[in-house]
Amino acid sequence: MAVGGSFIFEAIGTRWQIDTAVALEPEVRAAIAGLIEDYDALYSRFRPDSAVAALAAGGGRLALPAHGAALGRLYQKLYRLTNGSMSPLVGSVLEHQGYDALYSFTPKGPPAPARVWDEALDWEGPVVTAHGPVTLDVGAAGKGQLVDLVGGLLTDAGHTEFLVDASGDMLHTGATALTVGLEHPYDPARAIGTVQLHGRALCASASNRRAWGDGLHHVIDARTGTSVSTVVATWVLAADTMTADALATALFLAEPEVLAAEFAFDFVQVFSDGHARFSPTLNGALFTP
Amino acid sequence: MKDLEAGPADTRTRSITGKRMLHALAAASLLGVAGCAGTAPSPGSEPAGEGASSAPASSAAPEAPASAEPTEAAPAASDQAYEDGDFTQVGSYVSPGGTEEIGVTLTLEKDVVTAVTTEPMPSNPTAKLYQERFSGGIQEEIVGKKLDELKVDKVAGSSLTSGGFAEATDRIKSEAKL
Repeated sequence: MAVGGSFIFEAIGTRWQIDTAVALEPEVRAAIAGLIEDYDALYSRFRPDSAVAALAAGGGRLALPAHGAALGRLYQKLYRLTNGSMSPLVGSVLEHQGYDALYSFTPKGPPAPARVWDEALDWEGPVVTAHGPVTLDVGAAGKGQLVDLVGGLLTDAGHTEFLVDASGDMLHTGATALTVGLEHPYDPARAIGTVQLHGRALCASASNRRAWGDGLHHVIDARTGTSVSTVVATWVLAADTMTADALATALFLAEPEVLAAEFAFDFVQVFSDGHARFSPTLNGALFTP
Repeated sequence: MKDLEAGPADTRTRSITGKRMLHALAAASLLGVAGCAGTAPSPGSEPAGEGASSAPASSAAPEAPASAEPTEAAPAASDQAYEDGDFTQVGSYVSPGGTEEIGVTLTLEKDVVTAVTTEPMPSNPTAKLYQERFSGGIQEEIVGKKLDELKVDKVAGSSLTSGGFAEATDRIKSEAKL
């Protein structure tokens, strides 16, 4: 794609760059800004006036826009596939385990994330009903969905070649594939490989803390004699950005095989001992010595 | 959104040591970097350099072909916004487990970033040990290649360190501003 225009801005705490073959009309730019503002007003946990802030304060019923139904379905599926590890109730789960407002550090019983969703929340279609105060956190898929919504807006406005890049969560449409570098988890000046992005979404997730925090790194498994290593970075390619975003997080919590049973995607996982795992259909390259 | 053609059993684990799948690399200068060039040029009040005594300080660019406007203390290039030299700053970013730091060194020459180096600086000793091991591992197995030696259209990665990188470059911008 010959880039005819780039629309660059900051929103929801991240840098956005929208490259299009045909420069964006001012009214399309304004519509994008409005779309993002509306989404933020719905889900931001950091805004006292957001819809989720109201749920956190007193629970109750929240009627989301139509796109809320897809988000709920995705979260329900991943909640099931990760045995409750991936949940929009992260805040409530932590509270359950003692990280409550009083910092009691006293678990209110054995960790039981699977019950937490049922007890706390009904998410039917676009309607969320919270039984009591609930901290709804859609951070693992929300940014991806917002990228999809922006992409939909561009398509509706007649744009056929574009890349929406919300700091690493990307959606591409058009005839020409892009080569995307996979950023080294600890060195933003380096890449560990590249992938071809063509007509779908690419999302990344990385965490050094999540990897060492469980104390498992460089521990030898006595049964197999192999090193126990944990995931430190993931990339996912999928048809839509919401799914790619969520799966990039899910690959920290579940085996790719489990997720592949219900989702179509390509992936790269990098582990703490420096080896990598990737889908056989991955169109890309990982750098080797 | 149903099953992948490649079934579950097909996912391969490979410790990345083979030569397979190596890309041909072309040079490309990716890092025009975080807007180090640009922004309102403020004709500096002092020329670059620490040893000011020997420098013709504040002595208006001598044979500047009268471009009329630069009044007095114009440094060598009157519209240069940043001092030349190496600048190092530390940026921080919040990971799920706490705050981490990253060191960034930029070499500036006529408002252009000519070199970038970064250094992970985990504050937590466990993380430090861990990161060193990881870095070692990645050099031996997966090789991190410099982005400015790669021909890529985009970069996708952890927005964690990128935030720290941006913070450090912002500090350098204000430090190097003439």
